[in-house]
Amino acid sequence: MSATAAARKRGKPASGAGAGAGAGKRRRKADSAGDRGKSKGGGKMNEEISSDSESESLAPRKPEEEEEEELEETAQEKKLRLAKLYLEQLRQQEEEKAEARAFEEDQVAGRLKEDVLEQRGRLQKLVAKEIQAPASADIRVLRGHQLSITCLVVTPDDSAIFSAAKDCSIIKWSVESGRKLHVIPRAKKGAEGKPPGHSSHVLCMAISSDGKYLASGDRSKLILIWEAQSCQHLYTFTGHRDAVSGLAFRRGTHQLYSTSHDRSVKVWNVAENSYVETLFGHQDAVAALDALSRECCVTAGGRDGTVRVWKIPEESQLVFYGHQGSIDCIHLINEEHMVSGADDGSVALWGLSKKRPLALQREAHGLRGEPGLEQPFWISSVAALLNTDLVATGSHSSCVRLWQCGEGFRQLDLLCDIPLVGFINSLKFSSSGDFLVAGVGQEHRLGRWWRIKEARNSVCIIPLRRVPVPPAAGS
Amino acid sequence: MPGANYRAGAGAGAGARRPRGARDREEDGGGLEPAAVARDLLRGTSNMSFEELLELQSQVGTKTYKQLVAGNSPKKQASRPPIQNACVADKHRPLEMSAKIRVPFLRQVVPISKKVARDPRFDDLSGEYNPEVFDKTYQFLNDIRAKEKELVKKQLKKHLSGEEHEKLQQLLQRMEQQEMAQQERKQQQELHLALKQERRAQAQQGHRPYFLKKSEQRQLALAEKFKELKRSKKLENFLSRKRRRNAGKDRRHLPLSKE
Repeated sequence: MSATAAARKRGKPASGAGAGAGAGKRRRKADSAGDRGKSKGGGKMNEEISSDSESESLAPRKPEEEEEEELEETAQEKKLRLAKLYLEQLRQQEEEKAEARAFEEDQVAGRLKEDVLEQRGRLQKLVAKEIQAPASADIRVLRGHQLSITCLVVTPDDSAIFSAAKDCSIIKWSVESGRKLHVIPRAKKGAEGKPPGHSSHVLCMAISSDGKYLASGDRSKLILIWEAQSCQHLYTFTGHRDAVSGLAFRRGTHQLYSTSHDRSVKVWNVAENSYVETLFGHQDAVAALDALSRECCVTAGGRDGTVRVWKIPEESQLVFYGHQGSIDCIHLINEEHMVSGADDGSVALWGLSKKRPLALQREAHGLRGEPGLEQPFWISSVAALLNTDLVATGSHSSCVRLWQCGEGFRQLDLLCDIPLVGFINSLKFSSSGDFLVAGVGQEHRLGRWWRIKEARNSVCIIPLRRVPVPPAAGS
Repeated sequence: MPGANYRAGAGAGAGARRPRGARDREEDGGGLEPAAVARDLLRGTSNMSFEELLELQSQVGTKTYKQLVAGNSPKKQASRPPIQNACVADKHRPLEMSAKIRVPFLRQVVPISKKVARDPRFDDLSGEYNPEVFDKTYQFLNDIRAKEKELVKKQLKKHLSGEEHEKLQQLLQRMEQQEMAQQERKQQQELHLALKQERRAQAQQGHRPYFLKKSEQRQLALAEKFKELKRSKKLENFLSRKRRRNAGKDRRHLPLSKE
């Protein structure tokens, strides 16, 4: 009998490379035997193999007399012991496999659950509490536009930013280096085609979720479609009867929604260079538009005081009321909730099943003016990090404000202020949520009511550092 | 006839394929389902005679037959359900309305509340009209009217001629006529009350109440009028005027005298 066997009998674990090898051989032998069970010879052979291999690696063999004294097990007991050992090894293997499978399944189930919640508009990742207020030194400022920035978009892969301004130009910036990758200059009025561009203020932009197409709309009723990668002009969509004020691509498709001061919403198919349909309902010039993956879009109706959700297949609209002033900006948080800002200084959180806001934060950026004649700061831009509880708002109150949406979007709590002087005409979160981009100008994007001379017409990249919050003691 | 052969074949085939129970039910008078017949006979309609086509029509029904022969499928259901112009299921839900109705260029910025005109004569808010109560309530107006009448008479004495005189004359006449009408109404009311009391007294005595006809009421009123005229010695005057008027009417109906 081998030393290993004797040691096992005494209750000591076998050690060394040989032990492992022996075990492996035994396992292989047993596997080949299958359900037939072990024959007597088979067991003996196993034992002999293991003893041969182990005897070399362990201490020198004891004299035969001592060995015989120690060996007090019969062939039956030996067989039983080996069978038990084999079963134990099998059980351990199966447990390891099951653990790995369960882990994989948990991951897949988690992803599926997340997707379902996202589709239903119920997904709310709690990231706001982890956000740390960035220092002024961390904010990167990209200068290039001559006049106030009016709108901007971030590419889906977060590698580039497109910004447009009142100087009618569009600039593509690299997020990493902060350099200009491409400039689409202003086009002269009346000059046909060469080079293509906007001849009036660009009011809105949108990029498709695959990063292939960029759409831009201007005050002269035109929607220009560009290839986002090369900034080559592809198509021009005409049809609106007034300034194009809002553009959005439906996620996962090349369907484009546009809205205008002519109070209509139009649907286009960019891939096929075609117009689809027009929807009516707003009572006044529409100020902004947004869309996600459902076949519907939301609009902020400006002075008509309504937010509308347009159901494209049903050719119907849902009408929401809540703000006192002109609703100038809107953004979808998820498929079921949205955030809007108005010139009465209020920020509202909406759910699609309630006609009134779920939460309304009045004077979100405070008041300005002489005592007794105070007026709220207009909310000029809002942004939301998709499927999270993080919202950003911009005004000309010298700061961008980050907010946390409470449980069920029924509350809006201030997280922090990010100092930025000027009119925050556009705000966009990156897809990953690593940074927030702000389009800053000396003037409001829609007019020239004020002029802040200290402000710089620039694109500001605000990094959002996350500090994991330790779980509460109660949970 | 090829059509007959086809039909016989089809019938036999159908009979052979169906279970026994089904055949029994058909023989009892149930017949094939129209859809089944339509399917079976769809291929052979082009070879059938008019007689057979008519028979088929009676068998499967006109609507199915028309679709079968013309090859028309039933109209597809509209892909979109019709949206009501404005419908709200729950008061907290947003208003849902059509997105295909163009909004008028001029919108109503300030909602104008429509004024609802009320006619006090037919309004419950004004209460019930009771002539007796009304007369009692506004009795003081009679004194005011009398004073006004005196004032007009004084004015008439001042202006003996001219436009002003005519105006005042008309005003006085109108006032007198109103007064007379009021008195007449009062008399009518008194008469009505007297009749009512008489009826009540008769009812208390055990007689059945008797309601006068309109013609009888008119006769009574006329008798009352004549009595009044007799009392005021104006009867002769009234009758002579009446005679003259009647004579004029008669003359009008006579043929023209030839000169």
